[in-house]
Amino acid sequence: MQTEATPAQADVSELDLVRRCQTGDTEAFDELVTRYRTRVFSMIYNMVHSEQDAWDLAQDSFLKAWKSIKRFRGRSSFYTWIYRIVMNVTIDWLRKKHVKGAGTEFDDAIQLREVDPASKTVPKTEALPYETMERGEIRVRIDQAIAQLSSEQRAVILMKEIEGMQYHEIAETLGCSIGTVMSRLFYARKKLQTLLKDVYENI
Amino acid sequence: MKTFEEKWTAWVDGQLSGPELSEFEASLPDKAAAEAEKAGALKLGELLKGELSARTLTNEEFFSHQLRESVARLHETPGRQARETRSMWWTIPRLLWTGAASVAVFLVFTVLVMREKNPAEESQYLTQILNARVDPVVSPNATVSIFEVKQDRVTVLWTEGLQSLPADYAAK
Repeated sequence: MQTEATPAQADVSELDLVRRCQTGDTEAFDELVTRYRTRVFSMIYNMVHSEQDAWDLAQDSFLKAWKSIKRFRGRSSFYTWIYRIVMNVTIDWLRKKHVKGAGTEFDDAIQLREVDPASKTVPKTEALPYETMERGEIRVRIDQAIAQLSSEQRAVILMKEIEGMQYHEIAETLGCSIGTVMSRLFYARKKLQTLLKDVYENI
Repeated sequence: MKTFEEKWTAWVDGQLSGPELSEFEASLPDKAAAEAEKAGALKLGELLKGELSARTLTNEEFFSHQLRESVARLHETPGRQARETRSMWWTIPRLLWTGAASVAVFLVFTVLVMREKNPAEESQYLTQILNARVDPVVSPNATVSIFEVKQDRVTVLWTEGLQSLPADYAAK
């Protein structure tokens, strides 16, 4: 995963910053926030599709991170740890707000019945030439498609495709097994391929 | 044992290799269609990365500023809570002291009020009134009273209806 600082800087001093945070150094925490604020915000925004909510949830996530930073033992990387907090906060919020995709809350068990694993991802709408579609329209289509995923599937596909995280990192972040991550990824891709084929085929 | 979904995902992401890969590819009923699906999944990944990575946080500095304030408030809170807790604990002895003082003041006032009250009810002149009737044959309506002022040690003899002083009362 990239940070706003250069990778070398991040590798060398991140643990040091965390240690300083653990002694109550707010400046060190401020530095960590600066490194991750944009990525955290972006990840949350892609989950909730609201700038204000994403802002508030990002604030809440960082505040929770500060409160519990003394419990960080360095067994995982800091970004995996902070992403775990971000995902807990965001998924919890999504559940509370009953944010639903196409009127139904997704669940893996339901999807196993609804999606044929061997099905082909045929677009439901006519293909549109990419050139004729405004960038904003594409963004709206993507947001609408992601909104039809369960919060867990959203988290998995965004961490895999946007953040480039490995299965085990996603599993650690979400507190589930690697198999569950792969299964969620499978169904999330299937769903998005069905909904967005006309978009990506014309890029 | 991996499920089909897990194997498919690993295959799309290029995580299958060796016998596992060949075994999986051999199990696919329509390899061409599967390859097309895989290519579509990869294109989807590119689309998502291209479109969703662009989201940036505006007002980054304000974001950090707001967070710094929240953290600062967190730092203040434990001290304030401790002070509040401490003041709560001090309230109990304070209440006890206040209660005890109130009782003491009440008792003092009660004693004072009682002292004030008793003399008013009691005549300041009299602790003993000697009502003596003289011989009813000689003076049927006569009464003799003695008033005594305690402070001044004065005694007053009051007679009424006395027609003649009995011989016993005569001053010697």
